[in-house]
Order: sequence, then C-alpha cells, then structure tokens
Amino acid sequence: MMEYSYRIIISGIVQGVGFRPFIYRIATKANVKGYVRNLGGSEVEVRIEGNKEGIAEFMRLLFSKLPPVAEIEEIKIEESEFESFNDFKILASGNEIRTPSQIPPDFAVCDECMKEVLDPNNPRRYKYAFNSCAYCGPRFSMMYKLPYDRENTSMKHFPLCDECKHEYYDPNNERRFDAQGISCNRDGPRLYLETIDGEKVNGDPIELTAKIINEGYIVAVKGIGGFHIAANPFDDDVVLKLRERKNRPQQPFAVMALNLDIIEKYTYISSIERSLLTSPQRPIVLLKKREPYQLSKHISPGLDREGFFLYYTPLHYLLLSNVKNNILIMTSGNKHGFPMCISEECVKKKLKDVVDYVLYHNREIANRVDDSVVRVSSGRIMMLRRSRGYAPTWIRLKRKVKEPIVAVGAELQNVGALAFDDKVVLTQYIGDTDELETLNELDKALSLLISWYNIKPKVIIADKNPAYQSTYLAHKLAERFSADLVQIQHHYAHILSVSADYGYEEGVGIAIDGIGYGDDGNGWGGEIIKFDRERYERKYHLKYIPYVGGDVNALKPERMLALFLSTFMNWDEIRRIVSLGDRELEILEKISKRSTLFTSSTGRVLDAVSAFLGICKYRTYEGEPAMKLEASARGGKILDSLEIPIVGEEIDTTVIFKWLLQNRDKPINDLAITVQYKLGESLVKASLKLNPERILVSGGAAVNEYILKGIIDNSEGVEVLTPRRIPAGDGGIALGQSYYLTFF
Amino acid sequence: MSDPKSVITLLHGAGGAYMHNLIKEYFLQLYDGFGEVGLDVLDDAAVINGVVFTTDSYTVRPIFFKGGDIGRLAVSGTVNDIAMMGGDPIALSLAIVMEEGFPKSDLARIVESIKKTAEEANVHIVTGDTKVMEKNALDKIVINTSGIGVASEELKHNFNVLRKNRNVKHEWLVPMNIRDGDKIIVSGTIGDHAIAILSSREGVGFESNIQSDVTPLNKMMKTVLEVGGVADAKDPTRGGLADLLNDWAEKSGLGIYIRESEIPVKEEVSSAIEFLGLDLLELGNEGKAVLAVSPEMARDVLEALRSTPWGKDANIIGEVRKDIEGVILETVIGGKRLVTRPTGDPVPRIC
Ligand SMILES: [Fe+3]
Ligand SMILES: [Mg+2]
Ligand SMILES: [Zn+2]
Ligand SMILES: [Zn+2]
Repeated sequence: MMEYSYRIIISGIVQGVGFRPFIYRIATKANVKGYVRNLGGSEVEVRIEGNKEGIAEFMRLLFSKLPPVAEIEEIKIEESEFESFNDFKILASGNEIRTPSQIPPDFAVCDECMKEVLDPNNPRRYKYAFNSCAYCGPRFSMMYKLPYDRENTSMKHFPLCDECKHEYYDPNNERRFDAQGISCNRDGPRLYLETIDGEKVNGDPIELTAKIINEGYIVAVKGIGGFHIAANPFDDDVVLKLRERKNRPQQPFAVMALNLDIIEKYTYISSIERSLLTSPQRPIVLLKKREPYQLSKHISPGLDREGFFLYYTPLHYLLLSNVKNNILIMTSGNKHGFPMCISEECVKKKLKDVVDYVLYHNREIANRVDDSVVRVSSGRIMMLRRSRGYAPTWIRLKRKVKEPIVAVGAELQNVGALAFDDKVVLTQYIGDTDELETLNELDKALSLLISWYNIKPKVIIADKNPAYQSTYLAHKLAERFSADLVQIQHHYAHILSVSADYGYEEGVGIAIDGIGYGDDGNGWGGEIIKFDRERYERKYHLKYIPYVGGDVNALKPERMLALFLSTFMNWDEIRRIVSLGDRELEILEKISKRSTLFTSSTGRVLDAVSAFLGICKYRTYEGEPAMKLEASARGGKILDSLEIPIVGEEIDTTVIFKWLLQNRDKPINDLAITVQYKLGESLVKASLKLNPERILVSGGAAVNEYILKGIIDNSEGVEVLTPRRIPAGDGGIALGQSYYLTFF
Repeated sequence: MSDPKSVITLLHGAGGAYMHNLIKEYFLQLYDGFGEVGLDVLDDAAVINGVVFTTDSYTVRPIFFKGGDIGRLAVSGTVNDIAMMGGDPIALSLAIVMEEGFPKSDLARIVESIKKTAEEANVHIVTGDTKVMEKNALDKIVINTSGIGVASEELKHNFNVLRKNRNVKHEWLVPMNIRDGDKIIVSGTIGDHAIAILSSREGVGFESNIQSDVTPLNKMMKTVLEVGGVADAKDPTRGGLADLLNDWAEKSGLGIYIRESEIPVKEEVSSAIEFLGLDLLELGNEGKAVLAVSPEMARDVLEALRSTPWGKDANIIGEVRKDIEGVILETVIGGKRLVTRPTGDPVPRIC
C-alpha cells in the first residue's frame, strides 16, 4: 500500500489550549504515525506518516474537531522524508523554542467543565468554582511570566492532588493532559466571604453571597482578571445606592446572566450577537433592550442598549443559579476613574464605601484584565473594548516593522502595544491614562510584554498631543531604552488601524471621533483623509467651530451648542435656547469672538445636537451625549429636508442647527435619526469626491449605527471598511501607530 | 501664529517650556563662572560680592488694570525678585520706553504709582533712562527696572535655623537648598492677577470683582525669615505654580507632590477659569510667594505668614518627595496627574 509522509506547521492560538493532545488523539484515531511538538513563534510542528485514508481522516478531524479555543492562522503542509515512525508521540518542546509565542488569553469555562461542576456524582468537581481544562479557564490573568507553565502562574501555590496528577500526565486525557491550570476541590483555590470590615461569614460562601445580594446588599466578587461589583438588577433602590456610592450617576452597568433565554427576556439577540455572547471570549455585548424594560431603568439610563454577558467561570454560574431570576449587575470593581481592583487589599481600601461584602478566593490575580465589550452596528461587529479573551494575543500584519517598537496609544480608554516583525501585541484594556495611577498601569503592562518577549524597543511611538500623559510616558520609555521617539497625528493613526486590520496601504479614511490633536493645533475629529503609506492629506473636515475653553466644552454639551449657534445667531437669541449660567454665557460671548482654538469634532456636533434636543446637557462619562442621542433615534424616520452641504473643504455642520431650529415641532426620534444619518451621508459624499477604491471608517463615533448606515447606504458601491479586531475608538490607536512604522 | 521653531513667538515670552528652552539654548552660554549665585542658576536674581542684583522688563495690556498698573508692577516685580533670593531690596533703576503719542496724563499716573509702590517697599529709585520710539514700534510703554539688595540679619538667622537639620551650602534662597520632606507653602490665593488682567482686557472684558494681587513682598519675606527654616522662595509670576514647581523639581532633583484641595483660590477665580478653560496652576501672580520650608518649621512659618497683611490666606499645599519624579498634583477627587511646564494655549485632551 502507498504510504505518505508530511510535515505540517500550524500557527495561531495553538499553544496552551490542548492542541498537542488533540493532535495526538486524532492521529491515533486516524492511525497515522509521527509526532507533534511546540515550536517557537506560536507554531506547532506535526509529522505524520500513513496511508491515504489515514492522512485524509487526520486532515478531516484536524479541521472539523479543532479544540474550541484553538485558532489556526496559517497552515503549511509539505512532503517530507520517510522516518518510519512506530507510533505517534507528543514530543517535549525542548530547547527548540527561540522565537516567542503568543501569550494565551483567558477563556470562559467550557461546557464539559460545567457538566462536571453540575454532576453530583463527580465528587472532585461538583460545585467546584474553579474547574477548568485545557480548553478553558484563566491563562494570562494568572501568569507571572512565560512560558505558560503551572510554576509560572498563580496556580503554583496549589500542588496537584494524585487524581489531578494522573489526569495531567495521561496523554489520552484530551482535556487535562499537560493542562497547566487544572485543579479540583481537593487541591484548588478556596472561596471566602467577608464583610467589608473584614469579618468572616461562615457557611457556603456562594449561597450566602446570593442570599445577601437578594436582600439588597452590594458585594465585591473576585473573578478572573479583577473584581466585579455584584448587585440586584431589579431593585431601583439598590441600583441607585450603587450609583451614589460609586459616584457614577449615569454610566451603564453590565449585567450577567445564566443563559441566553434569560438575556432574551430583556433584549433582542441576533445570530451574530448570540455567537458573540457564547464565544470562549464571552465579551459584554450591547444588546437592544426589549420594551417595556423589566430590569431597573437606572442600570443604563437613557440608552436603548444594555450590556449583557454570560457567566464565564463556574463561580459565576453557581452564584447566578442561586440569585433571584439568575441575573446580576456585574460592573467592574473600581473607584470611578481608577483601575479595577485585583486584590482584597485594594477592595478594602478603595471600595470600602461602595460594597458591603467581599467574596474572594486565594488565587492571586497576576494581571488585571477587564471584561471585553462589543456591539453590532449596521450588521458589523464593533469591538468597543478588546481585553479579556482577546488580549494579549497578537494581531499579525501584512507588513513588518523593521525594529521592535512600543506604541503608547492615546489617552482615554487607552491600550498600548509592543510590535515586532509582523506581530502587534496589544495590551489588555488599560483605561484613562490621564490618571497617573492608570498611566503607571500602561507602563507596567508594556514593561511586562517587553520582558516576556525579551525584546528591546528601538522606537517609541506616541500621539502628537503634547498634553497627553501617555506622550510623557513615551518620552520616559525612549530614555529608558535609548529609543527614538516618533509622534503621529491621532486621526491618521485611527485610519491606519483599520488599514492594518485589513492589510491595505492606501485609501480614503473617514475619521469620526471626539477630539484629537490636529496638525494645526486645533481639535480635529471629523476628518476625511487620503493616505498612501506614511503620507496623508486631510482633504475635507467638519466645519471649524470656536472651541474656546477647550476641554470644558466636552463636559458641557450646552456650551458646545451655544458655540455652534454663535456662528449664525446673536447671543440674546442664544440665551433663550441654552440654559447655561449668566456669567458663563457672558464670558463665552466675550471670548468666543476671539477664539484661537477651533474644532472639527464629530463628537461635539453630536453633543450639541443632544443638548438641543434636551437629551443630555451634562456629560458624566465619555460618549454619553452621543450615545443617548443614538438611543433616542430608535424608531425615528429619516427626513429628507436636511442636506448638510460641503463647502470648499468644510462640511457645514452649522446647517444642522439651522434645520433643527426650523423643525422643532417634529418628533425627537425623527430629528435625532436624521441628523446622524445625514451626517454620515455627507461624510461619504465628500469622500467619494476623491474617487476612492475603498473607504475606511474609524474613530469613536464610527460605532454609531446611524452615521455608519448613512455612510454605507450612500457609498455608491465603494467598499466601506470598519475595524474588526480592534476598537474603532482610541483602544485601536496603538495598532495604527504600530502600522505606521512599518512604512519606514 | 508663526512657527516657534524658526522665529521668536509670544510663546517664548510666556514663561513656560518655550522660554525655558530659549534661555538654555541662547543665554546660558554667557555664563562664565562669575558670582556667588550666577547666571547658571537661572534664578530670580544674581548675587555678586554679597549684593543681590536683578533686572526685569515689564509690558502689560492694559497698562491700567483692576488692582494695579504697569508702574506698580515694575516696582513690585523687581523688589520681589530680590526678596525671593533672600535679599533686602535697597535701590532700583527705572528705564522707560514709550510709543510716540503716549498721553502725558497716563505717564503721570504711572510715575505716581511707581512712587507710591517704592515707598511701600521702602526702596529708592536712584537712576533712570527714557526713550521714545515711533508709533506702533511697541505697545504703548515698556518699563525696565533693575535693583540691588543686600543680605539681612533675618536671612542669616533663617539659615542658622535651617542648618539645625541639614547641610546648607548656599546662604541664599536657592533651589539647591531644597530637601526631601520640605513643605511647600503658598502665601495666598492663586490666579488673581491673571484673571484681573483678562477681565480688564478689551475684547475679553467680562465683569469680575477680582483685583490683581500686584504688591511688593519684601516685608512679608522679612517676617518669614525672622522665623527661619526657609530653604527657598520664589514668586509664581509668568508660568504660574506649574513652571515654578517644575523649576524646583528640576534644580533640586526631587519630586514635588501637591494637593489641589489645599491651594487657596478665590471662588470667582475658580469659576472664571472653569469657564475660560484655564489651568489654575499656570496662572500668573504678582503678589504671591511660594516657599519650601523645612518640615520642622513649616507650621511656624505658616503662622507668621498668616499674621502679615500679604499672607492671610497662606497654606501648605504639598511637600517635596524623593520617591516621585517631577511634579504631581492630587486632584480634588483624589486622582493624580503630572504637572508639566506650560506650553502656551491649553490643548484639548478630552475625547
Ligand atoms: Fe480618537
Ligand atoms: Mg529663590
Ligand atoms: Zn473546560
Ligand atoms: Zn485535584
């Protein structure tokens, strides 16, 4: 019989996810001989020899039965010399590893593991809150260093019991062979419930926690990458109490549920959303609320979407199955503006006025990892926060950076990156680095990647904004590593992030954003950019509006409205429309006439419209006025009487306000949807003047359903690309910054 | 605005990062090692053979503003530069450059104000110069004053007290005397001058009751030195607290930690800067001092300050720390941010 011999190199997320035992199992099943072993650079080498049927069966199983969290990026198959293997072996990786591999991210508990947890006949895993296997459980969040071996994780303090050991060394045990994070209730971490003052509560910690939450208490719950704050989502008083304690008057809280049926009671779930919710990454998904909304209206006031996610550890599952209606508020356990707590000490210090009890365990969280957030807009998946489940896996570019680089991103909702060769390793979500403590977190996260990958950066890239604290960090890093410092314009980085995601090198970009520092010192944010590799030209932008006072305008949509109106209206009339204080209006009137600072921000247009329509007059969290404006467009119909003209290189957004003044009698949702849709239409019309082959859309406002629809509907067949793997907001900047340096 | 890389712009005169770099790039090379406190220290004044010597040119628009005028400014500014070195000001020179067409009545008012302020500070105008330039060659009037002062008994006492807890190499109030743990004291409310000027300025002119704080501080400084334990003093003029504290951090090689909630500020100033989008720490003052004081003496110095008419609102706003880098501000809500040297107009940062 004819024999064949192949060497297969598979790269992607194939290490630390049970890939080798899987290969071992399918090879044995297909009756092929050879071996499998890990190589560096996140590659796995498979040698197989066998007959035609065996090889074909192996291939079929490889693609159809892939472990749930494994991801194949690339596969190379070549014929190889016969070595006449006697059996199939899993070989040790040995010293072969030279190039660094991916750091495995944190995965949600798998169904198999949950079955064990719910099986009363499984004494070692029944009701066990930390059950995991090769296909699931925490990874990055508990790693101290590379490689991903148990002694390099916080599981090192929990030596395996004899049964676990047996599973670990048995190559036939596909889910537990060589699985670094496994444990059972004989050897694993333990749970404790305490009052915030440190008084131990005796009894079953999970059942007790559920009971006190049902009674209206607020509890900090230690999870995988940090603490959540858990509370009853039905009780208005509880939610308001939490808002007050957290000093978070409006920003939505996430809600965790036991299963999809429960989520469906409160929201509409599309098939894309369903697959996101149940994916091993288990992000929070912003879903359209079902009216009338049955949960407390204070969970996400003024919004038509609610952030839902499914349990992602057995601990969550057990807790949820014990609380009323199997649903909980699970918002991140941080003090407003600060990083989420990852230790009991932090909770006791920083959350002492927020929570009543603390449910914690004795497995240390080595790395803070926030929950990821995604939404679907106009049928496209939009990443809002790329963190747990995704970070720190790398994104591969179609180009290479010549030397290793560090990108420090922007400032708010920031993420940094380490890039080498064709790989960009984005950090987990860091947060607002305008807070020094958070800036230090960015430094720490980047330093960790630098030391894990043992790479010395030669270039540091930062935003052009001189007021960003991240720019200061970039200076420090450049000094520390004797590296060059490069700065790049914010919106060009936004557009390049999409280009990097798709592998394009030129095109026309629409950057719709809050505010970024413009090349002329103004606050840009509604830009149409034509670019070719490292060169770009700003071709069109939203009309410049005086931005006197700078940042205060971002916090006060009414002030922004006054500034828009002041371009065509006298101040006595403006006084009748906006409700700012007399003194502020007086000062504003005086100084706006001699403004030296202007903005073309999309966010500020949306803010001002939001204020005009009475939807949001003061911003308490980033994007609030725009998000509420988007929410209030629900069910509206697009009116044709609004046309936002392109005058020279400016898109005249003041026309919006003239139109709104004439149409005040129309329903709010009609006005809201029209403004957003028509803004998108106008932006794409300006872009089309440049005869683009493709249009790339990015920036914080790119997730806006109606603007995006206005762009897509009117693109005259030209392909419209939005980022897939990274946020359109500033969480994607570091990728664009990294990509920029591939052109040098 | 023209490009600050190739030509001199207004930014270079604003007392922030640009001016700082300009001085380093062009003027520092003039230092030849002369003086007990020489050009290299880039402080408010120099000291030669025990004599404190300083010079300053004054332009301000408008020249008459709420709480003062350019004359009072020209005397106070130079007196204060001497006082912040620990010197006792004695005499000033006065050089005036005027634009053709400048009203004599305005000149009379200015001279009257100079006279009054000099009396207040107990200094003598001993020499001078006058020039006139053609219309539009300058903005109305520029005044230069130079001044000399000497070390006082109080200054010696101050260092005797300071020496109890540290080595003191410089017997003048210079940043090299600052040590880890020193308390940072401001002598009164911040931002009054900057807001008074803005509200007096045509085109901006909004109603405000805020008066400029422009005043000579040599008597206040004398009272403080009588107590002793002061390592350095400096007046937060152009560039405000932000520039001053960065200067100290840089020259002492130590970090400075300050608390926003402790910085004295008038209610009306604080609301005005919110509306105007200005940073309190970058606002100029003309009648305030910032002191670095040994921790042992900080309370006594504070009390002494508060007993004077110029230091009623004095407060401890932070301390010097060797465990941090640069200047860090703890905000009212408990956050922390880096304070950098002002770079000109505020840059929007919030998305
Ligand atoms: Fe942005
Ligand atoms: Mg001094
Ligand atoms: Zn599992
Ligand atoms: Zn075990």
